Amino acid sequence: MTRSTLRKVGSALFILVVWQVLVQTGNLNELFLPAPLSVLGAIWTMTLSGKLPWAILVSLNRVVQGFVYGALVGIVLGLLAGAIRWVEDVLDPWVAAVYPIPKSALFPLFMLWFGLGDPSKIVTITVGVLFLVLVNTVTGVKSINPLLLKAAVDLGASRFQVFLKVILPGALPNIFTGLRLGAGMALILVFITEIEATKAGLGFLLWESFQLLETKDVFAGVVMFGVLGVASTWFLQWLERVSCPWARR
Amino acid sequence: MDTRLLELRDVTKIWSIGRTGEQVPALSSIDLDVARGEFLILLGPSGCGKSTLLQIIAGLEAPSGGRLRFLRGDGGRKLTSMVFQEYALFPWRTVLENVVFGPEVRKVPRATRDVEAQRLVELVKLRGFEHRYPHELSGGMRQRVALARALANDPEILLFDEPLAALDAQTRRVLQDELARIWAETGKTFIYVTHSLQEAVLLGGRIVVMTARPGRVKEIIDVRLPRPRSLTGRQEAEILERLDELLRDEVKRTMESER
Ligand SMILES: Nc1ncnc2c1ncn2[C@@H]1O[C@H](COP(=O)(O)OP(=O)(O)O)[C@@H](O)[C@H]1O
Ligand SMILES: [Mg+2]
Repeated sequence: MTRSTLRKVGSALFILVVWQVLVQTGNLNELFLPAPLSVLGAIWTMTLSGKLPWAILVSLNRVVQGFVYGALVGIVLGLLAGAIRWVEDVLDPWVAAVYPIPKSALFPLFMLWFGLGDPSKIVTITVGVLFLVLVNTVTGVKSINPLLLKAAVDLGASRFQVFLKVILPGALPNIFTGLRLGAGMALILVFITEIEATKAGLGFLLWESFQLLETKDVFAGVVMFGVLGVASTWFLQWLERVSCPWARR
Repeated sequence: MDTRLLELRDVTKIWSIGRTGEQVPALSSIDLDVARGEFLILLGPSGCGKSTLLQIIAGLEAPSGGRLRFLRGDGGRKLTSMVFQEYALFPWRTVLENVVFGPEVRKVPRATRDVEAQRLVELVKLRGFEHRYPHELSGGMRQRVALARALANDPEILLFDEPLAALDAQTRRVLQDELARIWAETGKTFIYVTHSLQEAVLLGGRIVVMTARPGRVKEIIDVRLPRPRSLTGRQEAEILERLDELLRDEVKRTMESER
């Protein structure tokens, strides 16, 4: 282990141990700050009872669907808007209007339109991811060296081939920036949309535990959200390494 | 000239710039015949319209007036390929993948195009670097890739836009010899833009000296000297001097118009 890793692990362990000790010596009230081992225990219990895996599965279903729809629409619209002037002009006012709105504020509207079930939650996540991916994809397309487009045309590429073989790969690094931001947004939105109108999901579990003042279960939910965040980051990093090997940093 | 390959008659180009639509004449009345298999140099002060002319020949820009005729209709196949000063390689493609780009978009069967790409990689001496990405190569090697990529479409005419201007002097010298060799080996027609008198004399079969903007053909000099050439040769020195004389006026005019 390098010195730097040692310091990181040391820092994490130190805080956790101090925290555990403070609770056990009665200096911290478990109602507010349950000990790390209690949280682990809660995770264990809820895993065995199936409560936690089920909650994660339900939330993942919403997150993944919303993320994939948002990413696909965002990438396609972003590529078109970046490459074709009139598409950009047509989209511009809508992006300008909707982009700054916190997407959670749209959730009540979506419940009115799509009902209280999964669709309104998925649509909220889709919209949140879509705009981040869209905006970053447009940036990616605009960052492509125009000389590359010229070279492609000179070598005989059709408009569609330029789109597929130059604009798409050229924008890919920025698309991944959008996807990473979108993944973070998706997790925020799944939590917010699960506070209301559902009886399942990680957000619901967390919120319900809060209302019952089961603080260690609240912590368990928080930790699992963290795990999902880390997992999504790793997955996207892996995907980026595989699909953009030239941009290895 | 019965070996004519390309004929330019009274070609003009007027750029209109940005929102104001300001009209900038870049080329005025270019008359030029290009013979099959020749090494033609376009020499002129910076901004005189050399790149513009090359892009018109490449079909990437339309002329504002005049006409351009290829005297070898080849079933509509594009007859030119361009090599840019800044290489313009696709950063996400390896050397080999860059080289096959042309055949790939023209739907040449994979087996055929891969064999051909290997041959070209060999021709430009990049054996062993096939799977590198452009950012892993030196400037000189990148320009070799660009050359192989341009050759992969088997064009009649290769268009070079100051291909060596961004390289250091040593590399430039080496690549000048390489270009002369490849020109001789392939028998292709080279139209080669440069603003370097030395390069013009080292490489050129004919040197077209252009006037300051808007560019016109000022004079065409035949370089009937054996290759390889050296800048210290007496005849080479004479041509250099003549070119220097021709260009000095034009550069002066450019500077005056910019003042
Ligand atoms: N795409 C363009 N749009 C507008 N003006 C251009 C464009 N390309 C070149 N020009 C103008 O045309 C003139 C000739 O440029 P160029 O052909 O690049 O000259 P050279 O290659 O000889 O340096 C310059 O004044 C330049 O600003
Ligand atoms: Mg130029």
